[in-house]
Amino acid sequence: MTPHDDTPSPRSLALTTGITALMAGGILLVAVLPAEFGLDPLGTGRALGLLALGDASESPLENRDQPHARDRAEFVLEGFQSLEYKYHMNAGDTLVYSWAATGDLVFDMHADPDDLPGEENVRSFEQATGARRSGVYHAPFTGIHGWFWENRSFEVVTLRLEASGFFDGTVLFRDGGSFDRAPEPVLE
Amino acid sequence: MSAALCRRNGFWLASLLLVSTSAWSHTIAGSNAVFVQSIDGPAVAAFLYLGAKHMVTGYDHLLFLCGVLFYLARPLQVLHYVSLFALGHSLTLLTGVLLDLPVNPALIDAIIGFSVIYKAFENLDGFRSLGLRSPAPHTAVFVFGLIHGLGLASRLQAFDMSANGLLANLLAFNVGVEIGQLLALTFIFLLLSRWRRRAGFQREARAANTVLLGAGFLLMFWQLSLWLLGSAP
Repeated sequence: MTPHDDTPSPRSLALTTGITALMAGGILLVAVLPAEFGLDPLGTGRALGLLALGDASESPLENRDQPHARDRAEFVLEGFQSLEYKYHMNAGDTLVYSWAATGDLVFDMHADPDDLPGEENVRSFEQATGARRSGVYHAPFTGIHGWFWENRSFEVVTLRLEASGFFDGTVLFRDGGSFDRAPEPVLE
Repeated sequence: MSAALCRRNGFWLASLLLVSTSAWSHTIAGSNAVFVQSIDGPAVAAFLYLGAKHMVTGYDHLLFLCGVLFYLARPLQVLHYVSLFALGHSLTLLTGVLLDLPVNPALIDAIIGFSVIYKAFENLDGFRSLGLRSPAPHTAVFVFGLIHGLGLASRLQAFDMSANGLLANLLAFNVGVEIGQLLALTFIFLLLSRWRRRAGFQREARAANTVLLGAGFLLMFWQLSLWLLGSAP
């Protein structure tokens, strides 16, 4: 079998392949291992700030400096009354909640960002009819996050809500007014 | 309140169509992953879309296809090679998921990286310069098709997919992969045809395949690290 005119010599092929492999290996050691695996064999991760990329990856554990807050509320909704109750949370904050009502309520779990006021920036996460919900909520942005409830029956419905998590205030909208309240910390 | 109400219908679609922002994590990520796990029963359109998206955003598959198509000037040749590749990856994608074959995604991805190295090396006339006969290129494409299919299977296996509607969803994913591949191939083929007609192609082809070789090495080393070291802390 005769080589083509442009077939590289074994020497130049070995050189090309070797150099290419070395460069790939170099990129791995200099950048990929620090950024993706948190390993820094050459110290380049620290020097170039690439290690921080690895640290930013999600850890199951997320420590906070402040203790979390706890909230408990009870509302009475007469026939065709509605109210809105929300928690002020920063982006990334988490809330664990449960609420239960003595009858079905139409509700909308939604959030209003602090920096973008206006109806069009409201984000709604669940709209349904039901008498209870439990869950975990992760605030996607800083703002007020919570529920609108409406009693569309003639019966009086009592609603109880319990929540724990990271929030720094609650606000109740009812009868055309709004009422702010500071949360109760779990530890003094 | 009314604006918020309008948003509800868009939510399901939006979560599905959300384009993954991290193109480098070539897995089914974020909202797509949540969707795959939550589905119970046939969801043909959704899996069709996921398959196509996986292929179009899958740089490892795309690099390999670039290598395969590099010196194929005639559409019929392309069809021949691509059919073999599709046959190969469909076989292992279907059997891999249905029989729940235990495959290590990182190791498979390392071999996929090797497939890129292999093809670039062949394009660089590597076998001939070593005085070796090039292994039959059709067989090679089929065998690497089998490997790429195992990679696809491992992506789906990473989820607890419901047995309800599994076959329909799997077939839809597979057809989606072929659609995505067709889209990508058309683009690559047109680009390469244009390039081949230019005067400097011979010289540039060598440089391009060397870059491809390097990308293959990097992919392989990266996935081998993942295999040996486990995922990032």
